[in-house]
Formats: sequence, C-alpha cells, structure tokens
Amino acid sequence: MKIYHLMRMFIALVVFFAIAGCKTEGKRQVVKIGYMLCNSEQETSQRFLPLTKYLSDKVGVDFVMVPVDTHDFEKRFKAGEFTFTHTNSLIYIVLRENQGVQLLASEKRGKLGSRSAGAIIARKGSGIEKLADIRGKRMAFGPMLAPTGYLAEYDMMLAAGINPENDLGHYTIPPGSYKHEKLIYGVLYGMYDVAAAPVMDLENMTRDGKIAADDLVILAQSKPIPYCTFGVAKDVDPGLVKKVKDALLSLKPTDTAMIDGEQLKVMKAAWIDGYEELLDSDYDQIRDMAKRVNMPPYQKY
Amino acid sequence: MFKDTFDKLCWLFLIVVLISTVVLIYTNIGTGSEKRAAGPSKTLERELSYRARVDLINQLYLPVENLRKEGNNQTALLKLDELIRKYPTEAHGHILQGDILQRMGAFDEAISSYVEGVKLNGDYVDTKSPLSRRAEIQKLVDGGLKDVGPRVAANPNNRSLVIARQKLNYLKSRLAGGCE
Repeated sequence: MKIYHLMRMFIALVVFFAIAGCKTEGKRQVVKIGYMLCNSEQETSQRFLPLTKYLSDKVGVDFVMVPVDTHDFEKRFKAGEFTFTHTNSLIYIVLRENQGVQLLASEKRGKLGSRSAGAIIARKGSGIEKLADIRGKRMAFGPMLAPTGYLAEYDMMLAAGINPENDLGHYTIPPGSYKHEKLIYGVLYGMYDVAAAPVMDLENMTRDGKIAADDLVILAQSKPIPYCTFGVAKDVDPGLVKKVKDALLSLKPTDTAMIDGEQLKVMKAAWIDGYEELLDSDYDQIRDMAKRVNMPPYQKY
Repeated sequence: MFKDTFDKLCWLFLIVVLISTVVLIYTNIGTGSEKRAAGPSKTLERELSYRARVDLINQLYLPVENLRKEGNNQTALLKLDELIRKYPTEAHGHILQGDILQRMGAFDEAISSYVEGVKLNGDYVDTKSPLSRRAEIQKLVDGGLKDVGPRVAANPNNRSLVIARQKLNYLKSRLAGGCE
C-alpha cells in the first residue's frame, strides 16, 4: 500500500515538473518592432534580429521584427502594424509630432557616440576648396529623409547662401541601396564634383580601408545631431516600456542571442556601440533644420 | 694524489681555473664601480627616456595636430582613428581625440575620451609635465559640471546624464590630485 502511494506521488510530481518545465514562449505576449530599412531588408534583418531576440529574452515577451521602408514608416505605424520603432532621428521627429511617439533610447555608433554629422565633400586636388566653390557643380545627396545625408547638408548650403535648387549645375540622388557609399565613391572617382556624406560613413569607409583620410576635402560639416532612435507608441504599458528601455541601456558588448542555433554577439551584429538616454530636447537641432529646409513634419507647400 | 701525469695535469688545470676566476671577479668589481661613476644616473636615464617618448609622441601626432589647427577636425579625427588603432594604450591619442570632439560639439564623447586618456597616463593633469593638458581639462570640467548639473537635477532618472556627471567628477578628482 505504502509503495502504491509513493508511486502515485512520484507520477504526480513527474507530471507537475513536466508541465512546469514546458516552454511558455508561445503563450507570451507578442509585440512588434518596426525597423527602418537602411540599405536592404536582408541587411537590416541580419543586423537587428539578434537585438530583437535579446530583447525578447530580457523582457520576457516575444518581440517580432518588422522591416519597414522609410517612406512607408508613418503610414504603417499609424495602421498599428508595430508598437516600437527603430528609425533615424528625422523619422522619430515625424512620428513624435504626428503620432505622439515617445523617445526610448538613442543608438551609439562611431566616434560621435549617439550623434552623427553631415559633411559636404569634394575630391582632394579637384580645385574645390571651400563651400562657395560648389556653385555650378554636380552634386549628389543621400536619401531625402536622411538627417546627415541630406537634411544637414541642405541646411548648411542654405545658411551659406547657396540654394541647391538654383545654384548647382545639377543635383541627384544615387539610385538603389548603399546610397551613402555610392556618392562617396562617386566623388572619389569623378562621377560627382561634390556630395553630401554622413561622417559616420566616412569614418566606416576609412576604417575599412575603402578610402583614405587624405582622399577627400571636407568643405563643411554640421554640428553633431542624434542619429538612430528607438521610440514607442504613446499608449503602451509603462511597465513594458521601462523593461525595454532598461534592456537597451544595459546592453553590453558581451551580450549574445541565439539565432538559428548560433550564439551571436548582439552589438557586433547590429554594428552598434550601445544605447544612450537622450532627452527629446536634444533633437531640437534637427527640428530647426527641418523647419529651415521645409521638410516633414514641418513642410509647407 | 700525484701518482701519474694525468693526476698532475688535473690539479694544474684546477689551479688555473681557480686563479682565473679570482682575477675575473676582481677586475669586474673594479670596472663595475668605474662604470657607475662614469655612466648616467638612473634619474637621468629616466629623464632621457621620458623626453624621447615625448618627442616621439609629438612627431607621431603632428599631422593630426596640424589638421586640428587648420580647423579640419573631421579629417584630423579620421587620421587619429588610425593612430588609436595602432597604439590603443597610448594616452595621447585619446586626449587629442577629446580635444577635437569638444571642438566639434560632441561633449559627452569628449569627456569619455579625456577620461580614457587620463586613466592611461596621469601626466596630462600634471602641471609640470610637458604633456600637460590641465588647463583644457579644467575648462571642460568647469563648463561641463555647470551644464550637466542642472540637467541631472531636472532629469534625475536619466542614466546617461548621471554617467556624464560621474565622468566629470572623476576628472575633477584627478585634477585635485586624486589617484586612479
């Protein structure tokens, strides 16, 4: 009889632990993060999938990555396709002004940390030595919604009394992906006379040995402004928001995430140096630029 | 003991070795003391090596310094990046980077660079050192604390501001003579 009782208890315990040990991930809350595409969907996914998995592990909800084209970002956010946002700083301002998105954390990458700057470059020895020399020249800009590849440079030109619409020979935006690299190479190999280049790309290309620091002349450079930014919809549970913020701010170079059976370093995969807690007022410089350049969200027709 | 020629030869060899050893020891003692008297003192040796190091640093970082003086801060930073990768434990690159970043308006990153440099070599806060950047660091700390203090007070939960203040306080303590 005693043995019978012990056996029943043993079976009950086995069943209990088996249930308790079951993976509950499938039942966890699912939250979507919209990631603005940088160069391609594949590249963005490769970079940010480990970060998304890291956040799931840390926060205890199932985060799902949603790659989003820059021009569709606001529309898709408004349609409720995702709750958290990872965008450049100009798109963050658009979402903040129009949709009430809250600032979560700012991405650190490169020498300027959570900031980057825009530069107007020319090839060394081309005879273009100062900003005034670019009148009548062929210029290439980065994507139109790029804060340091378009907005900052356009603003610097207006401040110097150069109207890009009237005072250049012509200007263009390189087609396809990797626009920033294309225009830097374009200047180096003579396709364009001058270009609007983010200093982060100049830094990366120099580090990778693609260009040398002496190859180019920097004709003008903006003040450093915030760059990639995590935001969150205004009506999200504050407890969840705090957990995500804490997870981002505590991210270390040694943190890993399991992707397809492989442990990947999160920061290395995402090409980032961590996250910082900026204030929304730190983005005011970009707001002022957008107003001067007549760009969203302040555009007037 | 001296039964045959071999024994005699062994004893002769042993005596020669002993005499040579004594002579060698004696002559070495003599020349050693002369050397100490004629050669540079340890302090002088240290001084010479320090000056050589300072000269080498100035020579290595001269192109960056020139670019900075010309106002080409971004190009200077790109050049400096190469040097910091080549000499990651050399404090001078970090100090120079702090200076350039401060001029570019990247205040938080400038503080981090100065902290890194001062941690690697305290000479940069030493008034007497030819490498001293004490005045620049003092100015950065004074201005920084004035700016960051009220921001921390207004946003006490902002971790980045708190870290920035901690770094400024670290520099302040080093300027006051505190150790690493």
